[in-house]
Amino acid sequence: MQSSLQIKNCQLYRQNELLLSLNEQVNGGEILTIMGPSGSGKSSLLNWLTGTLPSSFKANGEVWLNGQNIDNTPPHLRHIGVLYQDALLFSHLTVAGNIAFAMPKGNKKQRLEKIAHALEQVGLKDMGNRHPDNLSGGQQARVALLRMLLSEPKAILLDEPFSKLDTQLRVDTRELVFSQIRQHKLPAIMVTHDHSDYDAANGKLFTLNTVL
Amino acid sequence: MSVISKSAPVNTKATTQCSTDMFTRIVKFSPRFLLALLILPVLGGLISVLLPAFGYAPVLEQTTFSLQGFNALWQTPGLTQMVTLSVATGLISTLLAFIITLMILAAFFNSPWLNRIQRLLSPILVIPHAAAAIAVGFLIAPSGMISRLASPWLSGWELAPNGMFPHDSFGISIILGLTLKELPFLLLMALGVLAQPELGKKLRQQHKVALNLGYCPMTAFFKVILPSLYPLLRLPLLAVLAYASASVEMPLILGPNTPPTLAVAIMHWFNDVDLNLRIKASAGALLQLAVTGGLLALWLGAEKAVKVLFSDSLTNGVREYGGFYWQKITVVLTALVISFIMLSLIGLVMWSVAGFWRFPDAMPEQFTLLHFKSALMQMGSPLFNTLAIGLVTTLFAIILTLLCLESEQLSDKPISRFTSLIIYLPLLVPSIAFLFGLVWIQQLINNQAAFFNVVLTHLLFVLPYVFLSLASSYRRLDPRFAHVAASLGAAPCKVFFKVKLPQLFAPILIAAALGLAISFGQYLPTLLAGGGRIATITTEAVTLANGASRRTSAVYAIMQMALPLIGFILAWVLPKYFFKSARA
Repeated sequence: MQSSLQIKNCQLYRQNELLLSLNEQVNGGEILTIMGPSGSGKSSLLNWLTGTLPSSFKANGEVWLNGQNIDNTPPHLRHIGVLYQDALLFSHLTVAGNIAFAMPKGNKKQRLEKIAHALEQVGLKDMGNRHPDNLSGGQQARVALLRMLLSEPKAILLDEPFSKLDTQLRVDTRELVFSQIRQHKLPAIMVTHDHSDYDAANGKLFTLNTVL
Repeated sequence: MSVISKSAPVNTKATTQCSTDMFTRIVKFSPRFLLALLILPVLGGLISVLLPAFGYAPVLEQTTFSLQGFNALWQTPGLTQMVTLSVATGLISTLLAFIITLMILAAFFNSPWLNRIQRLLSPILVIPHAAAAIAVGFLIAPSGMISRLASPWLSGWELAPNGMFPHDSFGISIILGLTLKELPFLLLMALGVLAQPELGKKLRQQHKVALNLGYCPMTAFFKVILPSLYPLLRLPLLAVLAYASASVEMPLILGPNTPPTLAVAIMHWFNDVDLNLRIKASAGALLQLAVTGGLLALWLGAEKAVKVLFSDSLTNGVREYGGFYWQKITVVLTALVISFIMLSLIGLVMWSVAGFWRFPDAMPEQFTLLHFKSALMQMGSPLFNTLAIGLVTTLFAIILTLLCLESEQLSDKPISRFTSLIIYLPLLVPSIAFLFGLVWIQQLINNQAAFFNVVLTHLLFVLPYVFLSLASSYRRLDPRFAHVAASLGAAPCKVFFKVKLPQLFAPILIAAALGLAISFGQYLPTLLAGGGRIATITTEAVTLANGASRRTSAVYAIMQMALPLIGFILAWVLPKYFFKSARA
């Protein structure tokens, strides 16, 4: 079965003010881009999808992931991976520890091998024992990506994930993230300010206005 | 001359330009004064307890070194029990308070319940230990609220039974009292860390990342938040442990008498009419120092062991350890803690206004203000002493703290790690150990100024809290205000008084209320430094707790709670009032 993330008749309110309404289906390997000015409710939409909408917001509508309604699933059981603009690596763990934290439990040796392999694939060979705070911004972004991918998510949300990287790094990292999304055939939703992100995503665009 | 000519570093900060004026000199000198003020009494006290412990006590005309004090100490019947009681009550209560704190944080992290629990528990902070002990004693006594609520329908008791609480020989009452008192402290310290803008935001985001990765909320707290949170909780934890292992008020009111905890026994020896017992008491104070030091070392060691043992499980990918059940257990435990505290406070208030109150009744038959009236009649001089000592101590502590924090900003570098550690010194060294040394010194130099002595010793305990409370707001002041003022020609002195202090009005009032609350609650320092001649509400309350009528005792405990509460309410209301009038 093809994986999909479906948003049915979502209406998002901030204190009774309608911010956005959305009705979309994203299939595996597709990237839906959402653009709009600050305060238009982009990040809140992602929070709603992960089940962490602050109580000052209200939302109607349903989320379906791979044919299952997950409206009442607690955040930690939704299997939706998120990449933020900050890498948010855990500073009390090593690079490998950050990734191991995300992986399903299992045989320790296999887990370590998988981590080493994954690091090598993104050009971070033998960096597993490094401390995340000592990595460059681009390296941190790649570790955050690996951490999310190895948690085996069923869908991916990107919250302006490249906005803190400089231009060349931005292109490379974006290429890496998008290729992984397509390779794993995961549905993805990306929130961004940057048109070049949308061009690279090569998918649908949904534009928000402040005034509806 | 080197080839590359380095220009001398130009200090562009306008505030440092006129560094010779009086104000700047006083400010720059203040950290050294603070250090001396904290180190000299503590170290001096420790040394002067060391000498008598080894038999050297000119006051008692003993000038030869001997081990007679220690010999007497070892021969004390029940010494092992005393030490065991001190160690057990200190360690278990700290551990319980810590574990429940973590469970509450883990179960309610990022939930509105955490704020509600915080609001319910934070008033407990201002309750002095003695008052808390009295309230808990009333709750668990054979004729206390718990037994009344359970009688006769559940227990079948028509008359008050011969219960073992309080004063049980296992120290369970002490553990209960200390745990209930320290739990809100630790919880609020942790919430204070999480309220730091940058760190708090980072930790909340990391918690969210862990949830997105499929971690159950409680597991996410323990695997992601705790490793970053714990280092910031270490000092408060050690302070709690040091206090719990050597405190006097709680075991005096809730603990057994035969034998009591080590700290209480030492106090009795010191206050004995037989002055030679003071040699033994000094030896005991050293033993107390070793016991507390040992406990602190044990805690730090256990911390390392836990870190090593659990480092693998941090990354083993297990997301759920029965979080559902732990969540339920925590809810029950939290409700239990809160209802315990509420019940003891309700019981305290009822006793203070109770007329005739038959045993199994949950409510008194008559209410009367007689106890308040008669207690207030006798309260004049203790009340005056309490307020005078508190105000003088707090005023001094606030001024010194502000000067030290200003020196930090004038010299543009934070206070050294050494200094910030020393500020905690009076909280980590068992007060019973160095206070006795101070008393020896006072007698040696024949210092009779009891009021001054009490203020000085109170300052040792008030300063750390005032400093901690003010430091964060002072350091968070936007430096651009000072820069703008300086660029307009204001001298450092003017910047301090006209720009910084008005901005800090509210935090200063809060720090003052905290300082007053700490001073009001001091028992041992007041008793020892005042030579028993200065009575405060707290010393009276402790004396009354073990003897006089429950009703009088309740009135004193309520007064003990009311004073700091009034302080905090003023600190909360005054800024609103002033800002309102400024706007109008």
